[in-house]
Amino acid sequence: MNTLTPATLQLELVAGQLSAFYPLLQQGVVVGCMVGCRLGELLSDQWGISPDYVSKRVTTIFLNSRAIDDVNTALIGPDAVIALSGAMPGLVGATMRRGGYYAAMRGAMTYNDESVATSFREATVRVKLFNLLLGELGPGFLQRGILLSGTELVAFFRNQGIEFRHGCRAARLNGLAIDPALLTEDADLARIKSVRLTVECRDAV
Amino acid sequence: MDKIARIDMGATGGPKISYEEVGEYSGLGGRALTSLLIAKEVHPLCHPLGAENKLVFAPGMLSGTTGSMTGRLSVGCKSPLTGTIKESNAGGQAAQVLARIGYAAVILEGKPAGDNLYKIIINKDGITIEVDNSLKLLDNYPLVAKLRGQYGDKVAYITIGSAGERQLLAASIACTDPELRPTRHCGRGGVGAVMGAKRVKAIILDDAGMKTRAPKDPEKFRDANRKFVEGLRKHPVTGEGLPAYGTNVLTNVLNEAGGYPTRNFKSGVFEGGAKLSGEAQAELEIKRGGTATHGCHRGCVIQCSGIFNDKDGNYVTKQPEYETVWSHGGHCGIDDLDTVARLDYMDDNIGVDTIEMGVTIGVAMDAGIIEFGDKEGAIRLMGEVGNGTPLGRVLGCGAEITGKVFGVEKVPVVKGQALPAYDPRPIQGIGVTYATTTMGADHTAGYAIATNILKVGGDVDPLKTEGQVELSRNLQIATAAIDSTGMCLFIAFAIMDQPETFQAMLDMLGAFYGIEMTGDDVVALGKKVLSAERDFNARAGFTKHHDRLPRFFYTDPIAPHNQVFSVPDEEMDQLFNW
Repeated sequence: MNTLTPATLQLELVAGQLSAFYPLLQQGVVVGCMVGCRLGELLSDQWGISPDYVSKRVTTIFLNSRAIDDVNTALIGPDAVIALSGAMPGLVGATMRRGGYYAAMRGAMTYNDESVATSFREATVRVKLFNLLLGELGPGFLQRGILLSGTELVAFFRNQGIEFRHGCRAARLNGLAIDPALLTEDADLARIKSVRLTVECRDAV
Repeated sequence: MDKIARIDMGATGGPKISYEEVGEYSGLGGRALTSLLIAKEVHPLCHPLGAENKLVFAPGMLSGTTGSMTGRLSVGCKSPLTGTIKESNAGGQAAQVLARIGYAAVILEGKPAGDNLYKIIINKDGITIEVDNSLKLLDNYPLVAKLRGQYGDKVAYITIGSAGERQLLAASIACTDPELRPTRHCGRGGVGAVMGAKRVKAIILDDAGMKTRAPKDPEKFRDANRKFVEGLRKHPVTGEGLPAYGTNVLTNVLNEAGGYPTRNFKSGVFEGGAKLSGEAQAELEIKRGGTATHGCHRGCVIQCSGIFNDKDGNYVTKQPEYETVWSHGGHCGIDDLDTVARLDYMDDNIGVDTIEMGVTIGVAMDAGIIEFGDKEGAIRLMGEVGNGTPLGRVLGCGAEITGKVFGVEKVPVVKGQALPAYDPRPIQGIGVTYATTTMGADHTAGYAIATNILKVGGDVDPLKTEGQVELSRNLQIATAAIDSTGMCLFIAFAIMDQPETFQAMLDMLGAFYGIEMTGDDVVALGKKVLSAERDFNARAGFTKHHDRLPRFFYTDPIAPHNQVFSVPDEEMDQLFNW
């Protein structure tokens, strides 16, 4: 197994357990995508987030720790770190807001790279979701798949309580069904360098 | 609010109370009243802990009404921490109750001889003062519990803990919340030390028999309030973000921006930031049977607070705010919310400013007293403050004094007051406010982000880096005005983005006082307040050279953006030229 062809782990969860992944999503998860494009294209064309939603809800965006004012100019390269946030309170919230009235106050950390787009190619980026966007965009990213190391995955499962374990209805590792209860102890899983985790939610029966 | 009470604590034969009409302060409230009165009546060169200083308690212009978000209490004096004029405000129930009893201001003057400790009872029949030495050195939680035994639960309490009694320069004044917890503090500037110097331990506010303040035009006021509330509820910040996560929702964003001061301003990113985030905090609070949504006073629509319980479900403290989580967390290299909550409780109980104390402990860590990240050590140091040990008294006097005592070169203060939780190198505009505000480093001095609506000073191109000084000027003017209304600053987002909500706020003021309020009136009020404050500070010896950040912000770049603060002095010196 290598990073180019990651193992796959598919989880089926009872709805309501998805918040267990919020700490991971806050810290950032690696996802595969095509880079060499503008941020707006990545968000809408590749991740299916509508421009209207981006405009109204994703009011604060950082690319490699730099505040973004225009998603249509920010260029995405390999290993980019993209943080997406809803509206923030206070003066700093207003200051960080995309194209906001107080953007000048953080001019020193505003994204202003004017590079032209380079080749469009497969790579990975790290995505962080904050606050209201965790619940709104998190399910989509988990459904499309996030990349984790086996060690990270096992650590994640070990941190979960009994409710999560009961809510984990099915698991398939590389297409083969496995007992979700064994995920915390799976030594083989821990050794895998890269796992593409996809999570589906179903209403409890 | 048609009268002012003066209590001369140093009068011969014991404290003496006098009452007067509001006179020239008619129609004013909050910061406008405290600052104009202090600027006029207090000698700028007086010792802040001496008899010449005055301590003014003033509800906002709309406090005590049925208006939403109107529960801020302003406290003004000459600050023992900064030496400047000071207005410090808090939520809780006190402003609403004091306003309903009918006082525009209660002023503590003079200084009693001897060691007696006093409590002041204010109700519809007037004011009484009693000696109560049984309250000596009680901290806020046991103090309020004891007072509740005597005065019950249908009152509001204003108190100081042991830090105020000891006149420590970081001492705060506590106001009780709807559950009668002493969790809402006029924190900044050492106002609690001034109350301690007046030997007043507690003020009990009882509005039994009083009604809410009646507007001149009740129908218009009711209609404006309804529109105002609708505006707050529909805005994503005041209607969604703050109720869900509180102010600590900023941790992740500031950390991602590289503007989260870490380990005494050595880095802009804290590796443990996600563990301290508002998102993590809200989840923990709910999981433990607390709540992530709670108002600090009745009539609050935003509900940005919460209740933090321990792992067994027992109350620890109210939801620590962003500033607290930062000061006791990332600033000290601590990534544990339980430790932060414990320290927040100790701040509230001892009665100290949570920003000043967190920054001070970080400075002490920089001095090598304890290591960065030492959770138990931080709690131990706070215990020293509560016990009034020699080390605790040094720490309780704030970051600047602690830095001097222990030989720390880089101490993040302006005019003696600790910087809040935003690094001024990547976010330079806020650095301008820190440097120039009349209050010492203070993020809330330039917080009322409605300047585009107010059109204070004209428009600034948001996408150009010029204009930091103009933006800060506009923000400070707008904030001085909002601080006078008694309204919570968190209304700022809704009134910035929604002109109809801003108009509703103006209409509330207009309908209450029977006048037509315009944006120009608000701006004029803000300028008047700031001018009075600047004038006081100038007479107290402050010059443009005090309107600077500590030198290391100009010389030491901070990761990840590797910026230094670069707004020219000459530009900053133009801030108050209007």
